[in-house]
Amino acid sequence: MKNLSLGSRVRYLVGACLALFLLFGAMQVGHGLPTSQWAILTILFLLLGLTLYTVHRILKAISRLTDSLLSAARGDLDQRITGIRRGGATEELAWALNDLLDQQEAYFREVFSAFDHATRGQTFRLAMDQGLHGAFKDAMIRVNVSVESLGQVQQMALKEKLISRITDLNSGNLIKNLRSIQQYLMNMTQELTIVGQISSETAKDADGSRSTIENLVADLNQVAAMVAKTNAQISLLHEKGEEINQIVQVITDVADRTNLLALNAAIEAAHAGDVGKGFAVVAEEVRTLSENTKDAAASIATTIESFGQATSRMLEDSEQVKDLAEGSRNAVTEFRSQILKFADSAKASLGQVHKAQDLSFASLVKVDHFLFKQNGYRVLHQGSGSPEAQAIQTDHRGCRLGNWYYEGQGAENYSHVPSYHQLEAPHAGVHRNIQEAVNLLSHSWERNAETQAQIYSHFEAAERASEEVVQVLDRMVEERHRTA
Amino acid sequence: MSTRPQPTQQEKVMGDDDFIVSKTDLKGIITYGNRIFIQMSGYSESELLGAPHNILRHPDMPRVVFKLLWDTIQARREICAYVKNLAKDGSFYWVWANITPSLDRAGDLVGYFSVRRKPRPEAIQVVSGLYRTLLEAERKAGDGQAGMQASLAILNQVLEQKDMSYEEFVFGL
Repeated sequence: MKNLSLGSRVRYLVGACLALFLLFGAMQVGHGLPTSQWAILTILFLLLGLTLYTVHRILKAISRLTDSLLSAARGDLDQRITGIRRGGATEELAWALNDLLDQQEAYFREVFSAFDHATRGQTFRLAMDQGLHGAFKDAMIRVNVSVESLGQVQQMALKEKLISRITDLNSGNLIKNLRSIQQYLMNMTQELTIVGQISSETAKDADGSRSTIENLVADLNQVAAMVAKTNAQISLLHEKGEEINQIVQVITDVADRTNLLALNAAIEAAHAGDVGKGFAVVAEEVRTLSENTKDAAASIATTIESFGQATSRMLEDSEQVKDLAEGSRNAVTEFRSQILKFADSAKASLGQVHKAQDLSFASLVKVDHFLFKQNGYRVLHQGSGSPEAQAIQTDHRGCRLGNWYYEGQGAENYSHVPSYHQLEAPHAGVHRNIQEAVNLLSHSWERNAETQAQIYSHFEAAERASEEVVQVLDRMVEERHRTA
Repeated sequence: MSTRPQPTQQEKVMGDDDFIVSKTDLKGIITYGNRIFIQMSGYSESELLGAPHNILRHPDMPRVVFKLLWDTIQARREICAYVKNLAKDGSFYWVWANITPSLDRAGDLVGYFSVRRKPRPEAIQVVSGLYRTLLEAERKAGDGQAGMQASLAILNQVLEQKDMSYEEFVFGL
């Protein structure tokens, strides 16, 4: 009997009662037991049977309750007792069990729903504690604190996720945009270098032209002086011609008078006859001589006249040359003042071109460093093995600005300006901080708040340094071109 | 349940700390109800068990709410709704109902679990106004699909205006 369940035992007891009753009845057959005793006995057995039946039913109900409880203990909260008999011995127990399971099931479903929503960042769906009692209600109020903060965290995480994705998109495109500006500034700087060379040649040529024109002016002055001198000499020549003419006139007069005298002498010789014959010959010779002298004088006069005509023409021409020389000198003087103005403006524009060239270069190296920083930021999204991480390996001596500053035209043209020496520290700071931030990104920064703080402060320091680089560059250009 | 109770203006109010719990099978046949359910609905346990849940449906309720309800739980999602219920004696009681799907160990849908709480009076005021509008639209457009579509359009419009999901809307009341 020990191994039998309570229900089976009750069933055996009911069976045993019935068997005893039948056995007793059979034993009394023929013994003539009084009817009243029979009746009492029957009622007794019936009562016993009824009691046992009731016990059996209670046990059955308890067994159902036990099943439900066992299910619940296994984590299955779905079971309920239904068809509960009103007024039954186990009615209250059954409902109490149902109520307990209702509390539990409602509690767990609420918790699940609330967390499910919170996980998706929906903060409006808190767990409802209404209708829960005692410890269930208390627990739910506490759960809601977690649900609420989880919801907020998830909401923020969702927001952050979008912001992060968009920032990534933005920075990717920013790099592309900056590269195009960088390319543009590189071309512009190159073009301006050529323009600078042309301008400086122009300025040199203008300076050359200035001395050429000065020489020309001097030459022309000399020419004008010489023309004036020549002019004077020609005038003198002309005057001398006149004097010669007068002398020739005197000679002609002398010859005429000699001729007349010779003629008179010939006549006198003829009067003298043969004695005068010799004298006649001399007179004839003298006459011939005077004729010849007169002819020579006439020929000289003719020559001198044509000489005079020639000198007159020369004088006229010379007068014209003088005017021309004067005109040229005026034109050249005018030209000279223009050339001087041109030389000055060529020099001024050379200064402007140099400034433009410097501004353009400064913009280019600014963009270089914006790009450098952007690449650093990109490593945050792209990881430390990305091309962006490679791109930031150059130090402050190896980059374009560094080359310019330490060896190139920067050192040559800028080392005298006051701000020149203020550039090195912030420039090195940009490179160093970005590189250190990226180095930290190769460690497990995602879960380490301290590393994150360090990364942030490096980026922050890089931004500050970059800001300073920009300001110093602007000052340097300003200072150089103010003093120049 | 061949004859429906005649609705009256009598209102029953749920207790602050009570909730009605009931379970149905996949067709909406009641398989369990707690004592508060029995007390509020006015039906006995034996009357409720095996009966369709819609014996409690009040004629003031627009059909679109139940369509939304069934569509949601059949998609294995939770639904919350304000519902006006009809008790056996013709009186009515408002509940803030939450229905969740019940899955077995294999993950199959086996029934629905519903908890109904006492709604806030302010929420009832808003909801009853909205339901009247929806019901009117359904009546005007006639029964069947047309009525459903008309009231669904109104509901969506209201939500769109508030820039809220249905859930957000009802939880915000």
